[in-house]
Amino acid sequence: MKLASGAEILKDQTARDQRIDAYLARLRRGLAGLSAEKVLDIVVELRGHILEKSARQGHAGTKAVESILGMLGSPEELAAQYLADDLLARAEKRRSPVLLIRGLAHWASMSAAGALVLAGGLLGYFLGGSFMLAGFLKPMHPRTAGLWRLAGDVYSLRLGFGSVPAGGRELLGWWMLPMGLLLGGGLCFLTTQIVLWCVREFRRTLDVGGQ
Amino acid sequence: MIEDPSRGTLLRGEPSPGSAVRDGAEKWEVQLRKGSLELAILASLWDGRLYGLEILRRLESDSELIVSEGTVYPLLSRLKSLKLVDSEWVESDGGHPRKYYRLTEAGKQWSLAMSRVWHEFSASMTKLLTPLTNERAGKEK
Repeated sequence: MKLASGAEILKDQTARDQRIDAYLARLRRGLAGLSAEKVLDIVVELRGHILEKSARQGHAGTKAVESILGMLGSPEELAAQYLADDLLARAEKRRSPVLLIRGLAHWASMSAAGALVLAGGLLGYFLGGSFMLAGFLKPMHPRTAGLWRLAGDVYSLRLGFGSVPAGGRELLGWWMLPMGLLLGGGLCFLTTQIVLWCVREFRRTLDVGGQ
Repeated sequence: MIEDPSRGTLLRGEPSPGSAVRDGAEKWEVQLRKGSLELAILASLWDGRLYGLEILRRLESDSELIVSEGTVYPLLSRLKSLKLVDSEWVESDGGHPRKYYRLTEAGKQWSLAMSRVWHEFSASMTKLLTPLTNERAGKEK
């Protein structure tokens, strides 16, 4: 059996340290959005895991570290799991649609259920936002903004940009203003409630994306 | 004729569904393991505080749960944010600090409740599966 020289061991250890640093740097980048304290907490914990596991295996070289990093998975996927939970926990507390959508985007990258809730949430906010915008723009585009019934029984929510649609009839008139704001606001509120319910279920049942 | 679909033998001259059955069973097993991982982690902390690597070793040695290490750490973080576990940093001889986790009072209550549900569910499933278990035992003789 050939014994490694001191220089070879030193070279391998340097390569190993660089590999660990590169992995943790990618993880740190993926965790952008978490507080500095949380990021440090996670990085220190995982560095300890990698170093201690490689020491326990009796091989502190690059190959052992590669296998340990492989078992941890890609740093981006690992970061997505931390981020999804943190964002959803904060969204749950603050009831913030922006945090909700950001958290859902991470959850969606890990599971089909997350993707479904994200799609539902986006649709709800899009419809709600459109109604609110149409109501808000009604005073600026009194002739064109509103809910229109077009030829062939097609309904169209128009923000008022462009001309009056041929053969169309505006249904709500000035009621578009209060109705749009109320209906849109209500839809956004309902979407937030439904998404928050899904998030609570997700966090309680711990629907993790990994294996 | 087929004795055991999971072994890939033929069924009345048709292509064997063996690999599909095996794949399906493996996927189902992954889901089952994922679903029980939370309880397994909480149970591993029942006797006292442990740090991440010790929890992983406990899961491997006591439960044969082969878990992705990349799943356990974010899960511990989530259990902490749900206030089911608490954590503290402790200096180690290895030169790097270890993050120890322990069950909170809420975590203990939650674990006991989950354990009760697990036993009731497992008992009813065992009863329901008795004919299948007997069938498998007969074939293995």
